[in-house]
Amino acid sequence: MDKSQKLDEVMALALSVPLEEINDDLAYQSIPEWDSMSHMVLMTELETAFGISIETDDMLEMNTMPKVREILQKYGVMQTN
Amino acid sequence: MRLYDLIQNNKKLTFIDPFTDRSYGVADFHHSLVIDDRQALVFIYADNLIGSIEVFLNFLGSRFTVSLLSPQLSPVYKQELEEVYQPYYIYDPSRTEIPGFDIHEASSRIRLFQHQLKPDYPIHPDIKLLLSTSGTTGSPKFVKLSEENLIHNAEAILEFLPIREDDITPLNVPVIFVYGLSIFTTNALKAGTIICTNRDVLQKEFWDDFVKYQFSSLGGVPYVYEMLQRIDFFKKEYPFLRYMTQTGGILNQTLAKVIEEYVAPRGQQFFVMYGQTEAAGRMAYLSPADLKTKNTSIGRPIRNGSFQIDPSTRELLYSGPNVFGGYATKSADLNTFQPGDVLYTGDIAEKDEEGYYYIIGRIKRIVKLLGTRFNLDEIELIIKNAFNGETFACIGVEDKHLLVIHLNQDLKDEEIKQFLKTKLNLHPSIIKIKQVSKIPLTPNGKVDYTSARSLYQQV
Repeated sequence: MDKSQKLDEVMALALSVPLEEINDDLAYQSIPEWDSMSHMVLMTELETAFGISIETDDMLEMNTMPKVREILQKYGVMQTN
Repeated sequence: MRLYDLIQNNKKLTFIDPFTDRSYGVADFHHSLVIDDRQALVFIYADNLIGSIEVFLNFLGSRFTVSLLSPQLSPVYKQELEEVYQPYYIYDPSRTEIPGFDIHEASSRIRLFQHQLKPDYPIHPDIKLLLSTSGTTGSPKFVKLSEENLIHNAEAILEFLPIREDDITPLNVPVIFVYGLSIFTTNALKAGTIICTNRDVLQKEFWDDFVKYQFSSLGGVPYVYEMLQRIDFFKKEYPFLRYMTQTGGILNQTLAKVIEEYVAPRGQQFFVMYGQTEAAGRMAYLSPADLKTKNTSIGRPIRNGSFQIDPSTRELLYSGPNVFGGYATKSADLNTFQPGDVLYTGDIAEKDEEGYYYIIGRIKRIVKLLGTRFNLDEIELIIKNAFNGETFACIGVEDKHLLVIHLNQDLKDEEIKQFLKTKLNLHPSIIKIKQVSKIPLTPNGKVDYTSARSLYQQV
């Protein structure tokens, strides 16, 4: 599966929002669904889905969709666009 | 003296808005809003930001009775509550108009909504504050609290928390919860600076503020400490942090040990507290010195408070001057205030030979999910109403999960989860669903929640 599509699916699952609502405008606490609880779920899901271990500083940095993608690139799981 | 006067006596108290880095002295918020002088009700949808703190202080300094409510309540719930209680004023920055209310510019910064009919139904003069028992279910059930309740609670806490004049305290627990309110009142009485924020520990900006302002303390429910551990908080150094407080459930043993081993060599203190909205805040605390040996205990009662354990039910009973004056579920209930002598906590407790109390279960059907209290019967009813009155049973599992049991083979798990998410903001990952052919019943025909709980193993 395409990594970007996989990311969208992980986001949709962790935030519990429909896949169609996943877009680059999403940010932590910008919607009720992306709260502290779902953020921790998201971190765990990303680690499982991509087989990585996310450092704590990165957990706090991954607060927007573009940032999530950027940091996943750092871990070598996303291709640079 | 009113709580408000005591706060104003702390003349050096400063409020900082970290979003603008602007600071305000406590005197700047003295009668800073133009509001009518009368005895009536104000709804404050308080988000912990500087505006809601200014509004709260102004109304504490007035004859109004204040209701602090969650800004995250759905618009439908807000309207239902406003219909039931007919508040004279509303503070809610999230709305631009409210039917039946006029906009009242109370200052250049603060906009209130004023009821067009100026409701003036009688409110008992002893009721200063109304807090919701649930916070997020939109239930109209409020706890009635007096000035005396609030002052006794704050002063009892000041006996043991090491709050100092040079403290810089973040409001990182919502003030609509009695624990967050206690953080506000105690620090407003004695600390130097209060940081008005709703940023949370998973936001980088929170930690920027943490270092920039050098927070003296942090507070949180067990879930917050779990997040702190997850982000490696206890592997770093914060020389300015002097103490932490925790309430809203028992920390797991592993985490309690991590915290104990973190704070001890650093000379920091960790306070476990036990409280309820009906006690205007706290009932007991565990001294940091006892953390190592008694880490599952809620400690001993606060000053002027006392516990008894009901010999037949083992329910923990609390007495003290901070016990509330009854519940309200409609505006007519605001006409009475009956200072209670004994508070039935709904918790089952034990006391050890050294006088320390331990919570070992609950009598009431209450679950704490992420630190927020939910009445399981209430959730059950909300689900039943939404799903054609079908049979549902809700069970709390170790304050971690909500187990929903039902009979309908055609009902998809996702439907229930989605509903609970929308209605009560419960994250799907904490909800477990089990469809069964028969709900276990007790001999007298009631749902057998003890047997039902065992179904959790099969989810």
